[in-house]
Amino acid sequence: MKTAAAVLAAALLTAPATACEPPLAGPGVQRIDGSGHVVAWRAPQPVPLAQFFTLEFAACARSGDRIEAPRVEATMPQHGHGMNYRPTVESLGGGRFRAGGLLLHMPGRWQLSFTVGGETLRAVLTVD
Amino acid sequence: MHRLHHALLLVALLVAAPCADAALLDFSAQERQQIVSLGPWPPRIAPDPSNRVSGDAEAIALGARLFFDARLSPSNRIACVTCHQPDRGWTDGLPRARGMEELERNTPSLANLRQRRWFGWGGGADSLWMASLRPLLDPREFASSAAAVAALYARDADLACRYRRAFGRAPAEERGGEESVLVNTAKALAAFQETLTSGRTPFDEFRDALASGEPAAAARYPLAAQRGLRLFIGRGNCVACHNGPLFSNGEFGDVGVPYFVAPGRVDSGRHDDLQRLRASPYNLLGRHGDDGGASATATRHAVLEPRHWGEFRVPSLRNVATTAPYMHNGSVPTLRDVVLHYSTLDESRIHSSAQPLLVALRLAPEEVDELVAFLETLTDAAGADRPRPPMPAPCDPPAAQLK
Repeated sequence: MKTAAAVLAAALLTAPATACEPPLAGPGVQRIDGSGHVVAWRAPQPVPLAQFFTLEFAACARSGDRIEAPRVEATMPQHGHGMNYRPTVESLGGGRFRAGGLLLHMPGRWQLSFTVGGETLRAVLTVD
Repeated sequence: MHRLHHALLLVALLVAAPCADAALLDFSAQERQQIVSLGPWPPRIAPDPSNRVSGDAEAIALGARLFFDARLSPSNRIACVTCHQPDRGWTDGLPRARGMEELERNTPSLANLRQRRWFGWGGGADSLWMASLRPLLDPREFASSAAAVAALYARDADLACRYRRAFGRAPAEERGGEESVLVNTAKALAAFQETLTSGRTPFDEFRDALASGEPAAAARYPLAAQRGLRLFIGRGNCVACHNGPLFSNGEFGDVGVPYFVAPGRVDSGRHDDLQRLRASPYNLLGRHGDDGGASATATRHAVLEPRHWGEFRVPSLRNVATTAPYMHNGSVPTLRDVVLHYSTLDESRIHSSAQPLLVALRLAPEEVDELVAFLETLTDAAGADRPRPPMPAPCDPPAAQLK
């Protein structure tokens, strides 16, 4: 009985976690679940090689906090370098953002990093 | 018996004939995808939004006149064509460019400039018009000035007439004064240079045949070049930087070429040139661009990091066989030497905190030949001997000017 109550209490306490749903859906949207945040993002398909592109994303905090000043970066861990450009992030309102100024200058595996509320969430982006 | 032998030979030939694609290497799906990504050619070219006379026939005519005019330098010795010679693939054949004095870098070719993001070996210009303006003011190149350029129009009625046709007012009437005349002169020079494009090459024929599933046509491409291409996109990993239809990612790299220009003096390439670009009033974020900075994405987002020290722009490989000598300092005499440079690269010279992108390829002699054979197929029909554009007929002053 005690165990069931504890499970119920834990479920109630973690309820806001399941409520964190970044407002971006549809074809091509990918999701990264972090410990404190969730990011959903969509890049053009295919990702253009050595050409500027923009990336749409949405983020939410499991705590319910508002997302302020998120950052986006891309690196090539295999070769130890990042982009030659620093992306800028524009807020579209309602937890949605657009990152501009991305340019992946080499084919291969890039690591895309979203820094939101002090947490960095990563995904892999492959460029042919 | 003799007749039977002939008959057998004939049968063998007939059987073999439909297999003309036997001369086509068994490129994998991934290789084919990479090869197709190196085209199509020629691409569609849009006017430069930062240059309001880009693509304008009057500005092109003015730019053509100016390009060949040594009076653009106060010494009357240096014209654009001094270094960018049409019969040398728009270069000069020298290791280092020579203006009023010898410079530290090799003269780059002028073909296909409209597709570029950065200009100059270190990307010191973010537009073709800025790249055309910079040498005019450099005391080692033209050693000119806004005043000297404006004075040229004042003493040449034909040039002044062309200027008026291109920009809608006489040079002397420019509200921005001599500086506006200088910037517009650079924009006319850019409009002309944008017309200098390279044509289709044997590689483009091969690429298109592969893309459209025509093995017989693809098989006409020499086998040595096919093997060289396989190295280029495969073990050589040249395509990591030399990618896309222009065979360049438009960015910068350190490929192990020494950057000492004199004892104790270095050319840091991208590192210094990006700082110079940012400090220049003529970059795309300044007031001289014609689109309010809308096309300045690269300039706005470019980052300066220590790794850019010693990096130089990845050159296009179209018509590369016609533009010797090579590398940013012209230190590599032939295309074969370029391939040998990558084959015997001093890996300790390349700074990398992770898996190095460049490793010595250690190519066999026949592989060197094949890579060179491939690179030579990136040459169009005109080759090094580009036709000199016809000079425009004398300019008739607009009717309004005669009244």
